[in-house]
Amino acid sequence: MKTARKIPLLKKMLSQFGIEDERVRLDWVSASEGDRFATIVNEMTEQVRKLGPFSGNGGGKNG
Amino acid sequence: MAKPKLALYWAAACGGCDVAVLDTNEKILDIANLVDIVFWPIAVDFKYHHVRAMANKSIDLCLFNGAIRSTEQEEIAKLLREKSKVMVAFGACACFGGIPALANFTSRADILQRVYQEAPSNSNEQKTVPLTKAKVVEGELELPELFDTVLTLEQVVPVEYFVPGCPPPVDLILKLVDLYATGKLPPAGAIIASEKTLCDECDRTKEEKKITRFYRPHEIITDPKKCLLEQGIICCGPATRGGCGMRCIKANMPCRGCFGPPAGVADQGAKLISAIASIYQGDGTEAINKMLEEVVDPAGTFYRFGMADSMLKRKRITKT
Repeated sequence: MKTARKIPLLKKMLSQFGIEDERVRLDWVSASEGDRFATIVNEMTEQVRKLGPFSGNGGGKNG
Repeated sequence: MAKPKLALYWAAACGGCDVAVLDTNEKILDIANLVDIVFWPIAVDFKYHHVRAMANKSIDLCLFNGAIRSTEQEEIAKLLREKSKVMVAFGACACFGGIPALANFTSRADILQRVYQEAPSNSNEQKTVPLTKAKVVEGELELPELFDTVLTLEQVVPVEYFVPGCPPPVDLILKLVDLYATGKLPPAGAIIASEKTLCDECDRTKEEKKITRFYRPHEIITDPKKCLLEQGIICCGPATRGGCGMRCIKANMPCRGCFGPPAGVADQGAKLISAIASIYQGDGTEAINKMLEEVVDPAGTFYRFGMADSMLKRKRITKT
């Protein structure tokens, strides 16, 4: 259950970096829920595609 | 035989690293006997043009403290790299960005706006801001340009050794000088500190870590013998390199991470998120929300000294 605490804390930190909440998702799927697994992966893929490529703009002196 | 030549420089730094070199007390005289100091802005009156006139690689050892956040600091870093055989990133700012790299949560425009217009102590009716070039009666004046992003020294020039710490402790400075003097310097890329984490070296009593509430240091009187993390104080010891001599812990303050990530850890903040969230008790929404409230500023706490060296390096900024 450590993950249940780690991900919300990570998300709080990522928001300070200006990273969209939708780029990280935590869900629970049992090994018997194949359909649900596929649905969640498809939803996540679609969601990230809508956001576009991640540009970290880290490292350069002016951006 | 001529004495080896030593240069020291400060970039985006507070001056504490230079003071740490002076804190070697009487040993500074040994250092002065051992080497010729050819450049040290805080203590010796050599100028940039003296350095420019030196032959390439004629400085044997350069201790460079401070992060890089302006064109002047970048220029001098490149100049000293060209003139020096061995370049040392000296102190947390040169190694990881340090406190100045917290500016990576904002941008140059926001910094200038805040510092010159909004800060309550200001009286700037003409809204003057520093310009890189300004015409005055006497001619044109120039100032270095501030970067949006604070960089580590290694992000600007190749670096041979790293001495972390805010500031580096005297024993590590003397260790570096000794390694240099005896010709026993480790392979390039080495970090002159411990290979262990601070927790490994900490002599406080450690039992099971189960936290039901995080406290900020001013909210609780702690037991000086017991692990601070177990008392609910966020301590960066689990994901910080040791070798500091537990300076903060001995003063009853938690580790703030100035020695950077230990060997094998790529991102100090991510590792701390994992460590801190792991030991908190409770899985329900209520407990998790309580934890989120108690960890007031995770990015600022877990990357206090390591922002420029982290995987993300800065807050994203959108340029128009």
